[in-house]
Amino acid sequence: MVIINYLLKRSFGRLGMVCLMLFLVSANSLSATRIMENQEISLLEAIELLSKKYEVYFTYDRTIVSHVMVSYDDDHRSNVNDELQNLLKETDLNFQIFDTQFVIIYKKDEQGLKSLRQMKNMMEGILQEEDHKKSDKSIALERRSSVPLLSRSPEYSLIDRRVVMNISGVVTDEQGEPLVGVNVQVKGSSIGTATDIDGKFIIEDVEDQAVLVVSYIGYQTQEINISGSISLSITLIADSQLLDEVVVVGYGTKRKRDITSAISVIDVENVGDVPASNASRLLQGQAAGVVVKQLTGTPGEQMNVIIRGVGSLGAGSDPLYVIDGFAVGTSIGENLNPNDIESISILKDAASTAIYGARGSNGVVLITTKNAKKGVADLSFTSYFGVQNLPKSRRINMMDGPQFARFLQESWMDRIRYFQNREPSLDEVPEGIRYPEQTKYSTDWLDAITQQNAPFQNYNLTLASGQGKIRSLVSAGYLKQEGALIETDFNRYSLRANVIGDINDFISMGVNLSGAYSGGKLAATTGRDAIVGKALWADPRDPIYNQDGTFNPYIGGKDGVFGTANPVMELHQHERKRYSNNITTNGFVEVSFLKNFKFRSSFSANIGSSQRKDFRPTTLAGGGFNNPPPQSAQLWEWHDKGINIAADQLLSYSRAFNEHRVDGMVGFSAQEDTWKQIHGYGLEFPNNEIRFMQQAENISSTSDESSWSLLAYLARLNYSFADKYLFSVSFRREGSSRFGADNKFGNFPAVSVGWRLSEEAFMSEISWIDDFKIRGSYGITGNNSIGNYNNSASLSSSGYILGNQYAPGVVLNSFVNRNIGWEESKQLDIGLDLSSFKNKLVFTAEYYKKTTNNMLLPVSIPSITGFTSTFTNVGKVQNLGAEFAVMYRTRIVNNLNFRTNFNIAFNRNKVLEIDGENDELWTGSFYGVHNRSLVGRPIGMITGYKVLGLFQTEEEIGNSPTQDGAIPGSMKMWDADGNGVITYDTKDMVEIGNPHPAFTWGFTLGADYKQFDLNILFTGAQNYDIMREIEKTTLNVDGVFNVLERAQNRFRSTDMPGDGRSPTANNWKWERESSSFYVYDASHARLKSLTFGYTLSPKANILKGARFYFNADNLLLFTDYPGSNPDINTGDNRSQGRDDEAYPVPRTLSIGLNIKF
Amino acid sequence: MRKIIIIVFIGIALLFNSCSADFLEKYNPTQLDEGNFFLTEDQFEQALNGVYGQLQGYIGSQWPFTEYISDNTTVHFNISDRGQGPSLEAIEYFQIVPGTGNISSLYNNIYSSLGNINNTLKKLSDSGIDDDVRANFEGQLKFFRAFYYFELVRFFGDVIIVTEPINSPEEAYTFSRSPASEVYDLIEGDLNFAISSLPDPGSISSSEIGRISKGAALSLLGKVYLTKKQYGDAVSTLNQVLNMGYSLMPNYADVFDPENKNNAESILEIQYQADSDLGEWSGFIYNFYPRESYGAVINYSGANGGGWNIPTLDLINFYEEGDLRKVVSLSEGYTNTDGVWVPVPFITKYFHEDSYTVRGRLGNNWPVIRYADVLLMLAEAINEQSGPEDAYRFLNPLRERAALAPLDNLDKESFREAVLRERRIELAFENHRWFDLKRTMSPSELSTFLNEHGAHERENPTTSRGPVPFSPGDYIFEPYEVLFPIPHAQILINENLTQNEGYN
Repeated sequence: MVIINYLLKRSFGRLGMVCLMLFLVSANSLSATRIMENQEISLLEAIELLSKKYEVYFTYDRTIVSHVMVSYDDDHRSNVNDELQNLLKETDLNFQIFDTQFVIIYKKDEQGLKSLRQMKNMMEGILQEEDHKKSDKSIALERRSSVPLLSRSPEYSLIDRRVVMNISGVVTDEQGEPLVGVNVQVKGSSIGTATDIDGKFIIEDVEDQAVLVVSYIGYQTQEINISGSISLSITLIADSQLLDEVVVVGYGTKRKRDITSAISVIDVENVGDVPASNASRLLQGQAAGVVVKQLTGTPGEQMNVIIRGVGSLGAGSDPLYVIDGFAVGTSIGENLNPNDIESISILKDAASTAIYGARGSNGVVLITTKNAKKGVADLSFTSYFGVQNLPKSRRINMMDGPQFARFLQESWMDRIRYFQNREPSLDEVPEGIRYPEQTKYSTDWLDAITQQNAPFQNYNLTLASGQGKIRSLVSAGYLKQEGALIETDFNRYSLRANVIGDINDFISMGVNLSGAYSGGKLAATTGRDAIVGKALWADPRDPIYNQDGTFNPYIGGKDGVFGTANPVMELHQHERKRYSNNITTNGFVEVSFLKNFKFRSSFSANIGSSQRKDFRPTTLAGGGFNNPPPQSAQLWEWHDKGINIAADQLLSYSRAFNEHRVDGMVGFSAQEDTWKQIHGYGLEFPNNEIRFMQQAENISSTSDESSWSLLAYLARLNYSFADKYLFSVSFRREGSSRFGADNKFGNFPAVSVGWRLSEEAFMSEISWIDDFKIRGSYGITGNNSIGNYNNSASLSSSGYILGNQYAPGVVLNSFVNRNIGWEESKQLDIGLDLSSFKNKLVFTAEYYKKTTNNMLLPVSIPSITGFTSTFTNVGKVQNLGAEFAVMYRTRIVNNLNFRTNFNIAFNRNKVLEIDGENDELWTGSFYGVHNRSLVGRPIGMITGYKVLGLFQTEEEIGNSPTQDGAIPGSMKMWDADGNGVITYDTKDMVEIGNPHPAFTWGFTLGADYKQFDLNILFTGAQNYDIMREIEKTTLNVDGVFNVLERAQNRFRSTDMPGDGRSPTANNWKWERESSSFYVYDASHARLKSLTFGYTLSPKANILKGARFYFNADNLLLFTDYPGSNPDINTGDNRSQGRDDEAYPVPRTLSIGLNIKF
Repeated sequence: MRKIIIIVFIGIALLFNSCSADFLEKYNPTQLDEGNFFLTEDQFEQALNGVYGQLQGYIGSQWPFTEYISDNTTVHFNISDRGQGPSLEAIEYFQIVPGTGNISSLYNNIYSSLGNINNTLKKLSDSGIDDDVRANFEGQLKFFRAFYYFELVRFFGDVIIVTEPINSPEEAYTFSRSPASEVYDLIEGDLNFAISSLPDPGSISSSEIGRISKGAALSLLGKVYLTKKQYGDAVSTLNQVLNMGYSLMPNYADVFDPENKNNAESILEIQYQADSDLGEWSGFIYNFYPRESYGAVINYSGANGGGWNIPTLDLINFYEEGDLRKVVSLSEGYTNTDGVWVPVPFITKYFHEDSYTVRGRLGNNWPVIRYADVLLMLAEAINEQSGPEDAYRFLNPLRERAALAPLDNLDKESFREAVLRERRIELAFENHRWFDLKRTMSPSELSTFLNEHGAHERENPTTSRGPVPFSPGDYIFEPYEVLFPIPHAQILINENLTQNEGYN
């Protein structure tokens, strides 16, 4: 046997581990062993001897033959028939002889007879084909003819063909166009290839009963039985038609056609090859009603995700993220490698999120990571390399050195002119600003802190093996993103491994383990006193470096200009690093029993730790203003640890009979999350080199711990009749440690119905409609993002000194409301799904109304209680909206395909009620931005003084309401309460901006021509306002900051009013307040991403696919907003529309490569 | 089979459920829970100490409303920090409105302490701890309650009286302001209780030094009577203090030296500890130091003060020639690190360079009631009651200690002025000035007085204002401003709460 196998291999190439194999023995392959009479030998050996002796060819299933031993006595019989009968008499095998040359051995049972029939049919087919295809000149045949044959008999060509059966075929789409790069795989083997440019493929040496798995992105995967045919024509059906496609939903999956709630599925493959350092990037622009904002350009940072508007005044508005069934929390973190993500489902309405109970109010993002596909084994490598730059067009233009010197001089002189009413002489002007033309240096600090062509690179290697009962995948990734600001970066090393297997027909289990280490160099970049703001206002007349090449350590601090640290030096010398490690595990066991039942027990854990270290050396000037170096060195360190564990027990039932389809689930879920921290602070170090706590002269430390837990019982029932009438109901009862003793548990029911009109007889006439469904849902969800211990009264330490010794003391630290309970959202959703024109046009529309009640708000209470606020369940907020998504795909001409995707969402947010006596909520501060939530208005409207213009004359001031300190050129504020005085409390403040867009949209355009493809994403938001808070500094013309170039056109006197809107430098009082002067319309459209790719023809058996692409991310921005990023918000979700300057968002140009072996 | 499976499943669910009650109970591990506190004597002592602890915070932030608002101190003008919004500047410039944040903090902080006092008193009355101990604790707590209501009534006039814990927000809305007279009744009642239950200063053990004594209660009651112009009661009450063993320190400087904490002259001082890792240090003086002095004043490289509450030129010039107290209390400027004299005055009374080692963690105590104060109150009360004749003996020892000539032969009016003058100098920066002015002047007199001071300050500011001129409304004091407004936010949420006249 060894020899035979060897010969076969040498002659015909691979012959793999197939069960049913065609076996050939040739007379030329002689066994060296002489067989004695009546010897026990293996059947295989016997077959070998017989085939040699009679020159016949055997066909059998090797697995049923290989272990059989037979008693063989040579030369007693003279024909094959007798010899075989004798040989097999003791076995359960039988045989048949065809054409006197071919012997089939089969098992004496039902299976065996079936395989006999198959083998017989196959032979007949081949014999016929032999006749028909005498003239076949395919490459495969030609090559085959060069193979040395084992026998010279005329039938050899037949045998030859059967043995090395090569499959050729062509794969086309529904329109008959060939599909390039389609993956064609022999099921259960490693043999596979991909289609060429004409959609054709050839696979050699295929077992003629093999099954081919044909898969292609965007198309339904098909399994095709070869059944002996050697030429296949395969038509793939596009994905959009896949109503049987399964969508991941909360605690399970659902067929797309059965879905009766608002769920957006993001096909990660379709997002395109974007440079995403954080997985949240994949959500951007993809789903209607899911607003994803890149608030800053900080490398690796998670984007801000809000689903269907800000729903709460009290608790957080971030959605719940669920990764592989594990509810990890309201943040996705920085450690999830986007490359590991297979699919994302976004649950938007209550019917889909109520199963997550008190965490479902803000929507749920379900992320599924990659697993090995059944039957497929491949190795893929993806990589991209990009460079990041801040677009010139988005630059903020500050005054340069000479301009600023001139500005200082003029302002100084203007003040003399105004306050002393005389013309100053040049000699009087302080020396530092007397000769602006002699300004030596001119530094553009923003430019100085910006890194040109900051590299961004990413590598991923994934090995997937889906063969056999156990499937596994191992993926490793490395990402390195340098920042658009110097000395900032982000790195991530990630590893994921999972194993899923069916132990037997009843039990399956799986484990998913992922670990990541990420972090890098940080800088404080948000707000005017952080690096970016500072780079705007720092004195441009100072150089970055001294003559000797050392850093100029102190910028400004003269001529009345505020002194500050050198931003470049600060980025270099202020050490600020953070790192985090994270290990996430999921494991499950699933038992199927009684045909329709499954019990699934799963356990998940996330163990993470992070550390931050921050060292500010003596060489840097202090924070704030006018604190020149040397300063005392300071060190801060934080070490955090978190353990989040969850266990779910789910019992599910699923049954389809006649036209009924029922599935149900009951479950139990428990979760506990604990966080611990230790923080140290050290002051005064002997040197700047050794940066550890024990070096500090003065050390203080704190430690902290916090945890929450929940328990939930859940149930769901889905029923459909005739795939036409759909019904679903779910219920969750959840208890949380976060709520008061009297309100520990809450109930979260939901119901949804759907009607597929397209299944009705009366609709069947309308041929252009493929599928048409209307659906409605209603449910109750909760929000528990309120912090951990608001329900219990605790005492905090307030010690004293008695007898010169410490005496411990305690005081109450909160006013406890033991009744606090769930914030509750009730949401109605009505939707429509339509597929038409052979699924070329797919349309979805949604209407929703979400009302959030009983918000947990820190409501002001009379301070005579000892406290000024307490958490109470009050208020009502409504979000009302409509969402539309349309997808259209078509072939324009041969080889040119076009697809587009457009989604748009309108959300209207309104506070319906707060509390009887507390009918408005303010956040913000003087000199900052006020956001006010007032009953009848949207949440967090930008509020402040309304600027009517500039006072042009003293007379005008006299005729206006009293505005303390006003002089000509001052902003003229509106006396909103009409009491004749502009006051410093909030009485004259009015709504001056709406931070909520009228609508947000995303628009994808895709086209491919032969091997080229193009994918373009536009995103935008319309009609909303941002207060550009930083302008209170960059337009603060009182001479302490560098200012915007446009301040050259400021009001200087009644005769020189400038551009009529920039206030005077003579006085600066009301100008620093929250006012409409700083509010801008931030409506914008972005060419968010453009990808141009080329897909290489697969090389049979070597390369399954390869793709090269170019991507431009954040390519263009169309807006009138003067800041660099109209998506910015330096406040929180309830205090939107604030721009106090942050890390700028770069444009990234990258090239990438994806290869699959 | 199916039944078995379901039973097993339910079993599993119950198994998890059985621990659910515990599983969902989470308490903040970093803090004590109120539910199982207030049982032992030791715990009550901690609650009592908590009230002392809160007083540290209150005293440390009292200066804006007592010194800074008055003619004693002003702001080291800082264009980059106009003071927690315009709030702090608003106080200096008499621009207080109901929305002024610091006024709100003042009001809320007092009621916050009162909340703890009332809660502890209530728990104490329900407890079974030793009667003597309980009386002592109650005496201390009632002293504090009187102290805070005395502050409230002087700052705000009529105020809400709360003497029991408030358990629900709804309950809080039922309260309205009580007339000042009722507030004074409460104060007097509480102080009389304290006097009856607290020990003499001499019998407080050395490990308990810092606790309220009968002397403190008598002194405060004396001040209450003085404020109410019940001069006879004031004299008789304060006279009792004379026999409790208090005496003046020989040198004015010694009074404030951390070496002499709780000295013979000290009746009530707020305790701090230098370098304390437990946060018991006193940082207030760093607030008062000049900005941008870069270590020239605070002996740490680059260290700056806050530039708040600096002596006015008016006060500096008010000292009589040769008054030893001047150099102890203040400095008229400093020599910066470049050797240049910077004429920014600052308070030195509470600063002792060698008394602490960790930057920022000073240990100076804050004097609330000094024997000198009691003597001056007696002088004031006796003069009002019967003329200066018998009052000189309480005033002159202080002048003598300051190396000034004793006063003699003054008429009642002049003596009254002399006492006020003496109080300004002797008790400078000790949070008396505003109350002294209010006590001795009618609202219109005070208005005239402060407007004169303001005009003077506008003309000749204590520190340079750089390019920023005064606003026209700065330093204009109207008579109604003798009372602070009830915080806007409180009125907004409680319709029963009325505003002081002039602020609507």
